[in-house]
Amino acid sequence: MTSSPGNVLAVARDLLREARARRWTLALLAGVTALLLLAAFGLELEVVDGALAASRFFGRPSHGGITAADVALRPLFEAVAYMVFYGGTLFGVLACADFAPALLAPGRIEHLLSLPVRRAELVLGTFLGVELLVLAGAVYGGLGLALIVAAKTGVFGWAPVAAAALGAVGFTGVYAVMMAAAMVARSAALSAAAGAVVWVAGIVAGNRAAIAPLFEPGLARAVFLALTAPLPRLSELGRHAARVANGLPLDPAQLAVQAGGTALFAAAALAVALALFERKDF
Amino acid sequence: MLAIEAKGLTKRYTGAFGRNAQDALRGLDLAIPRGAAFGLIGPNGAGKTTFVKALLGVVHPTAGEVRLLGGAPSDPRIRARVGYLPERLRLPPAWTPLEILESVSRLKGLRPRTADLLALVEDVGLAEAARRRTGGFSKGMKQRLGLAVALLGEPDLLVLDEPTDGLDPLGRVHVRSLLARALARGATLLLNSHLLAETERVCGRIGVLVKGRIVREGPLEALAPPPAAWRVRFEPGADGAALQAAGFTNGVAGAETTYRFAGPDAAALNAALDRARAAGALLAELSPEGTDLEAVYAQAVKA
Repeated sequence: MTSSPGNVLAVARDLLREARARRWTLALLAGVTALLLLAAFGLELEVVDGALAASRFFGRPSHGGITAADVALRPLFEAVAYMVFYGGTLFGVLACADFAPALLAPGRIEHLLSLPVRRAELVLGTFLGVELLVLAGAVYGGLGLALIVAAKTGVFGWAPVAAAALGAVGFTGVYAVMMAAAMVARSAALSAAAGAVVWVAGIVAGNRAAIAPLFEPGLARAVFLALTAPLPRLSELGRHAARVANGLPLDPAQLAVQAGGTALFAAAALAVALALFERKDF
Repeated sequence: MLAIEAKGLTKRYTGAFGRNAQDALRGLDLAIPRGAAFGLIGPNGAGKTTFVKALLGVVHPTAGEVRLLGGAPSDPRIRARVGYLPERLRLPPAWTPLEILESVSRLKGLRPRTADLLALVEDVGLAEAARRRTGGFSKGMKQRLGLAVALLGEPDLLVLDEPTDGLDPLGRVHVRSLLARALARGATLLLNSHLLAETERVCGRIGVLVKGRIVREGPLEALAPPPAAWRVRFEPGADGAALQAAGFTNGVAGAETTYRFAGPDAAALNAALDRARAAGALLAELSPEGTDLEAVYAQAVKA
């Protein structure tokens, strides 16, 4: 079966248009804006000749001594990278849990299926729309913070933006499972629960090498390693985001494996969602 | 040329592990010619909605075949030529009618001008609400919008599930005129409705679906049973005793000038009318009883 990119984009566009009016989307926008305003008005950074002389958060000194501004800001960027990565993906689970169930609502899905749109296009368009929404939210926060810091110090760092992009990559695996769950039962709660399970499991999977020794050698450890093997390595992706923030060199091969593995997991989960959707009667 | 063709269409719903199987359609056969206005009627649970959904690929038939406009329902090019109004259409509440029509246009591959969409919104009687969010719409307004969505792009086949549900009497008249216009340009109409009077007024052909099968199908006049009686209204001043002697019974409560003549025999009726006229009565109105869609429906369902 072939899908038309035009229809996929049209479905994604409709989802984004629908998202504008949702309280969760407005909450996401308001939350990110509040954090940006907090940073804009609360964070005072004194930069002298490219070096950070002092920093205060709402008047309280948080940094003394003279350090190169880009170096001094790394811990801030690292904290922001983690916050954007984990906070963004978890918020995405909550904010996006209702999109697929809403698409499948009685009275709506019959109408959509009667239009010249293939079922695969509805699934892919919804997935793409949610991904774009999450990416837009994350980039808004990440880029906004990078610009605020740049305005205050003259140092522009891509770390928050990179963390946002990696968060969106990690969210592909999470949301694909959420869609598959919605195909099993049309429930936002089930979809959110499935997303939360993958989110936690992805963090565990990213630390599986460190956690595995906690299991007895033998069957228990083998089962743990087997169960976590196909999962997206969310915490690994988070660490990549932090390394970018810290100005540490990235291992492109390792990053490609983590991102590729996540994409593969997302594709497999989407294929399951699509297979369930194709067979379903409404 | 057929607009809809179903052969041996069967749909069995099964629960988990194949338990609680229920047959919604049992080898349904139906052929609706292009340009026809076809009314599908039947009791609750007869399989009407399942049939409509099977037509559009919303449910997968267990067996049998269905073709729309000469093609398979799974073909998007065929579905592009169909306008559908589900029974309980749910549209995004934050969107305006114009936004909804724009979205459906995109998905149908149409590129209408805003003026065309506004004209359509006006056509269904929503001109003043064209840029208002649909979340606050009444049931009737949602129904009108659903009809606009179905009529978008002048489809060759209209499949409407209870299109006048929630509409006031004038709204129903308006919908009938819209459907008449669609039929006049050559569209085919499949109307699924519980409102027999509406179906009778709009549709020339009727199908009665009972327990997953079409049990009666054809033009209404061919399906209608012979009249059980005739209702006759005379001008005021007619002699009641003479009318009763002529064979009429004064059995219509609250209508003193209206009488009944039992039986379908037209010759006997004419003879009775001659006797009444000879007694000075003037005929004002004559109508058969028990030949409407309600009678067809009752007869088919009881059979």
